[in-house]
Amino acid sequence: MDPSELQAVLLSAALVATVGFALFSSKVSSSLIALFYSSVVLSIIFTLYGDTMVGLVQMATFAGAVSVLTLTVILMTGEDRIGLGVRKLGTILVLPLLAFAGASFYLLSGGSGPSAVSYADISNQVLVFLWVNRPWDLLILVMAFASAMVTISNLMSREP
Amino acid sequence: MQADALVLMTTGTILVFMGIASIALSKNLVKTIMSFQVVLFGANLALFASGLGTDARLTSDTFVLLSITIGAAVEAVGLAIVLGVHRKYGTLDPSKVRKLKE
Repeated sequence: MDPSELQAVLLSAALVATVGFALFSSKVSSSLIALFYSSVVLSIIFTLYGDTMVGLVQMATFAGAVSVLTLTVILMTGEDRIGLGVRKLGTILVLPLLAFAGASFYLLSGGSGPSAVSYADISNQVLVFLWVNRPWDLLILVMAFASAMVTISNLMSREP
Repeated sequence: MQADALVLMTTGTILVFMGIASIALSKNLVKTIMSFQVVLFGANLALFASGLGTDARLTSDTFVLLSITIGAAVEAVGLAIVLGVHRKYGTLDPSKVRKLKE
């Protein structure tokens, strides 16, 4: 088997395993942690196939913001007690995030030496393409995301 | 199509079907939102794999970025709705919510 095929198969197996655990686990908090790791694996796939920026956005959005939102909703609804200590939970959630962010910035700054794929070039091209061809889409998306955040904060601040 | 792109696209399809099955079987609204996230992961992976090794790489990457942003916004709204449902009905089980509505 070709090394790139083996890499794709291994990463896919990791992704399906984490997602399977997330979907079919009985505890919601275990599902959340597994889903966090599946978004980390997906970010690694995006990065290894030459798109560091999409990997970073995926990581920041799903492993960062959405995981924290879901955790907040789980704690507020009291559906499931998080059985882990705060330190342990923080270690589980923050360490992979820091490792991935460090590796991404290392790749983006060209620290990996001569490579077949230029990560900085691809990221720059995607940004330029978005800015030149789809600026209104970007604006609409930013507005939709901001309004969602305002809705969430409004719901949280209201008295029951 | 490259072999690794084919593997990634198959994985994306598997994720989409797993997510849809979980949405259909789920008895917790938070789990339903998580299943929606899995469907989104699968769709993004398939979209990304479709551009690997072709001239449309940049376009597929751009649409993956847009899809990630839209998905996050939809998920945030979904979680807000889940909070609202829990405040009004006191449960997150969709069948119980349906009974309480009647």
